[in-house]
Amino acid sequence: MPSAAVAEDRIFQALGDRSRRAIFESLMRGEAAVKDLTARFDISQPAVSQHLATLKGAGLVKGRREGRCVYYRVEPRGMKPLLDWIEHYRAFWPERMARLERLLDEMGE
Amino acid sequence: MTLVDTTAKGQGETISFEFDLRHVPHKVWRALTDPALLAQWLLPVADFALEQGKAFTFRRPPIGGWDGTVHCRMLEIEEHRKLSYIWRAGDFVDTVLTFTLTPTIAGTRLSLVQSGFAQKQNAGGARYGWKLMGANLIELLDRIP
Repeated sequence: MPSAAVAEDRIFQALGDRSRRAIFESLMRGEAAVKDLTARFDISQPAVSQHLATLKGAGLVKGRREGRCVYYRVEPRGMKPLLDWIEHYRAFWPERMARLERLLDEMGE
Repeated sequence: MTLVDTTAKGQGETISFEFDLRHVPHKVWRALTDPALLAQWLLPVADFALEQGKAFTFRRPPIGGWDGTVHCRMLEIEEHRKLSYIWRAGDFVDTVLTFTLTPTIAGTRLSLVQSGFAQKQNAGGARYGWKLMGANLIELLDRIP
């Protein structure tokens, strides 16, 4: 299990590439094999496989072997670190505002 | 203090809050704009100045893959009424933070809006933005046990 920082880095790197984002978003519509994705995008099969390996390494997609084909799908839990950013701020501001009020109470006019 | 989370339901790109404070706007304004006071309630700040376009930074301890530096740029200053600046943290949070002060009988209603979580990524850049916060992803997340 990689540390949170390493996991985040991998996700940011994986999604920092436009082709990988396109593949990821395409998989959000449903499971697909490498050949399906190669047909959908103007990218060679080895390049698609490489992108999928990166997405998989970041925990964003999962593969399922069926005969000679591997089918890929989105792993929704993989996006959790990104959602945590918003949650961080949702908790951050009320806590800071409570501090602001304490400070205002202590300040002179 | 009453705190109301006014973020619209299902809205992924903006968070907003309203606070009713029993202090007059000019005093709240001081707390929002004096670096020594900012350090006491928000975060230690460097290079802060009330000048449009001024770059400044907040610092907090590192968290996750982020070094803890918040890069800011002053956007809008309306004395005692409104303060708005860019709030950029790591590769991923590129937002605009806006404080609005409205006088009330009891003191001040302070509204805080942080928007832009869903901004489109810049072309070819590492910033991904939040468009995946759209219906597809929400729906997928709902299915997580």
